[in-house]
Amino acid sequence: MYQFPKDLYVDVRIEETYNTYYFVKNGDVEADSSVNVTGAIIRVFDGNLWYTGSTNDIDGIQKEIDNLASLATPNPDILNHPTVAAYEVNKAAILTFTGDKDIRNISREQRTALVHHYIDSCVDDSIPEQKLYAASLQTYYRKKQFYSSKGAEIIQDFQSCNCGVFYTFAVNDIPVSGGKYYAGMTFDRLLGHEDEILAERDRYLDYARNAVDVTPGDYTCVLAPVVTAMFTHESFGHKSEADFMLNDKTLQEEWVMGKKVGNDKVSICDNGALINNGYVPYDDEGTKARETWLIKNGILTGRLHDAHSAVTLKEAPTGNSRAQSYLNTPIVRMTNTYMEAGTDNPEDMIKDIRDGIYVYNVNSGTGQSTFTMIPSLCYRIRDGKLCEPLRVNVLTGSVFKTLFDIDAVGTDFELFDTFSCGKNGQSAAVSAGGPTIRVKSLTAN
Amino acid sequence: MKEKMSYNEIYSEVNFEENKIISFEKNNSVEYSFRIFRDNVAGIHYQAGEIEDSAGFAKAEENLALKRPYPYTLESGTRRRNKTEKEYTDKDLLSIAHEALAHIHKAYPQFILSGSFALQTDCARQTNEAGLDYENIDSHIQVNVTYKHKDSKNITDGYFSIGQRNFSFEKLYAMADNYLGAFEKKAEFPEEIILQSQYYGLISMVTNSLNAEALSLGTSLLTGKLGQKVFSEEFTLIDDVSDEYCWHTPFWDGEGCVKENDKRIFIEKGVPLLGYSDKRVAEKYNVPHTGNAWRKYSDIPENGNVNMQIARSTKTVRELLGGRLSVVLDSYSGGGFNEKGDYVMPVHHAFLCDGEKFLGSLPPFTLTSNMFDMFGKDFIGVGSDQPVFNDKQVLMKMNISKNL
Repeated sequence: MYQFPKDLYVDVRIEETYNTYYFVKNGDVEADSSVNVTGAIIRVFDGNLWYTGSTNDIDGIQKEIDNLASLATPNPDILNHPTVAAYEVNKAAILTFTGDKDIRNISREQRTALVHHYIDSCVDDSIPEQKLYAASLQTYYRKKQFYSSKGAEIIQDFQSCNCGVFYTFAVNDIPVSGGKYYAGMTFDRLLGHEDEILAERDRYLDYARNAVDVTPGDYTCVLAPVVTAMFTHESFGHKSEADFMLNDKTLQEEWVMGKKVGNDKVSICDNGALINNGYVPYDDEGTKARETWLIKNGILTGRLHDAHSAVTLKEAPTGNSRAQSYLNTPIVRMTNTYMEAGTDNPEDMIKDIRDGIYVYNVNSGTGQSTFTMIPSLCYRIRDGKLCEPLRVNVLTGSVFKTLFDIDAVGTDFELFDTFSCGKNGQSAAVSAGGPTIRVKSLTAN
Repeated sequence: MKEKMSYNEIYSEVNFEENKIISFEKNNSVEYSFRIFRDNVAGIHYQAGEIEDSAGFAKAEENLALKRPYPYTLESGTRRRNKTEKEYTDKDLLSIAHEALAHIHKAYPQFILSGSFALQTDCARQTNEAGLDYENIDSHIQVNVTYKHKDSKNITDGYFSIGQRNFSFEKLYAMADNYLGAFEKKAEFPEEIILQSQYYGLISMVTNSLNAEALSLGTSLLTGKLGQKVFSEEFTLIDDVSDEYCWHTPFWDGEGCVKENDKRIFIEKGVPLLGYSDKRVAEKYNVPHTGNAWRKYSDIPENGNVNMQIARSTKTVRELLGGRLSVVLDSYSGGGFNEKGDYVMPVHHAFLCDGEKFLGSLPPFTLTSNMFDMFGKDFIGVGSDQPVFNDKQVLMKMNISKNL
């Protein structure tokens, strides 16, 4: 297909994307757009430096290869470079979203009708505290081609869509926003959520009317599945990305395989082969996705790699090298990451808590040694019962301690396609999951 | 009536990982928005990459069928602004990266350094058949350094960055000396916590609260407070695209509107004066139009494009401190404002500072306050100089809890 220069490693990634966005706020259609973009990134490696360029001119890829190659120093031994040698040579065409599944076949009329159906079903203008409502629907389709000078030839697709209704209520001049949106890989996943959206609206309205500020301190916390999902992603998922340690002896010793890092009840897995929001059948280096158990029964058993980190740490690539788009070079990222279901009854977890917090939902989080989560809705647990809504600004904990503090893992596992992850300036679609869990101590502010 | 927007960015980046340069990346991207306005609706086509104007406008013509409402008069005017101070080549960038990285690594071998040296040059342009022809060019070198002590169990320990249109090794090295030279020294909290910080994240809640639509709907914490003194006499907030530290920001908004002298005051001496709006919001809510539309390439303009700057004091940072010490955050994340305007920020690492020089590392803590206190009774000011960050910096009193 391309004339790859001698004595250099080259790969080419071509992406075609199609996005649509429809957004209604207080009755006004504020966005109604569709965008097609085609672009490619070309990477040339001479064993010393990577030379990378991107273009929207697909017919000009060969010229871009030649330009980048002219900057590099030919290396007759390039195929024996450890990173290059680790690249898999796969040939595959995996087009998962065709025919009725193809989100591009959903017409604009179908998309806008769904949004207006949810508005008609879920917006009640007679609620005096409701100052604003917004409803939206987004679709995203991507076809990606990957070719390497080692012979890889991969074509794969990905798509996702989301739809939701959000409200802003004002009580005593304090605006509170909340709502619910649904995300999935096919349009049918967006249908039939009217009752759940209304229930969520009522929860946030109750929060706006009745929330009390948390007294800062350490609390036993019960995390709902979507919060466990965020917790799993932030508290440990980022620590499993091997590009942060590479030649760092201190971190290699801290995160040595076989080390006990959490309670026996805790098992965490990443798997890009699942057809969820982190679906990456082949990563952006051409490595096939696989199931990687990061923690099994509290023991560190794996980590996430691209070829470079795998070679550096003398482990195997895991298919986790991902780029946001054709404008970005791939880095080590999570895909579909989840805490495995346990055997504890979620209903029983709050029964013996005298003073704690039930974290019902969460907006965002970060994952340093101290991880953080910003809840959107919490409830006070008092004497084993759920009580009033609680305003908690941020929950924090130490990754070195918190995984040991998990003393109950529920049976009610869910995997959520509503997650997006940021790292080094790149955003990646991921899913995250888990069951209800109980953590003996998190700090609430 | 036809209108065309374009954005061309040439971006070169030298990346380094564990003290070693690993890659050179170059992107030369261009995107266009072709727009046709007819009978109070707009047809818009977004294009990434080159396309003939005739083909772009033909697709915009097709999109008139979406009936995107735009009943407003197009603007006119001619102006070009080029903020480039010095032109650099990719070879210059590589040379700077090699020299600077070697220098810092040699001076501080106990740290593992990762990050990038990036050269960004861009050109934004908007033209229309009403006589608008605006162009804005800017170029700067941005250095981002993430550092980790080799004995640390953290993924990273801290981060510093500097943007310069005319690159100075001395300024970068001074910043590296401040951060890396003080990291291993231990410091204790001063009695009074005075935050010294770049302020872009800190003013986000105030900025959001000035959205004219939110003010009108009652979803802003400043609803009903226009004209009232709710902040400090020292606090004046200006939408200012002439500010020298306003990077790569065109002087016009997405509807071709330009502010008088490129600036407009929204909060004056503690008094919120008005909210920001685009033409649609101004008309819908009957509020002053302030020319703050985003340049949306795939749809009609949208309110919210502001570049808020706090008016500087005539005093330097050290003069504002008056002999007191400040706290400069280094590694912090995951916090922010809640709906009441309460601010909480977990801080993994911070420095004690005399206003210019770091004195040592502080233990982890949680920073707390409230929007009305931060810019009200606890607001001290923005220094006339730019020590520490090579950027403007605010001083304000804050509270801390020592648990994280």
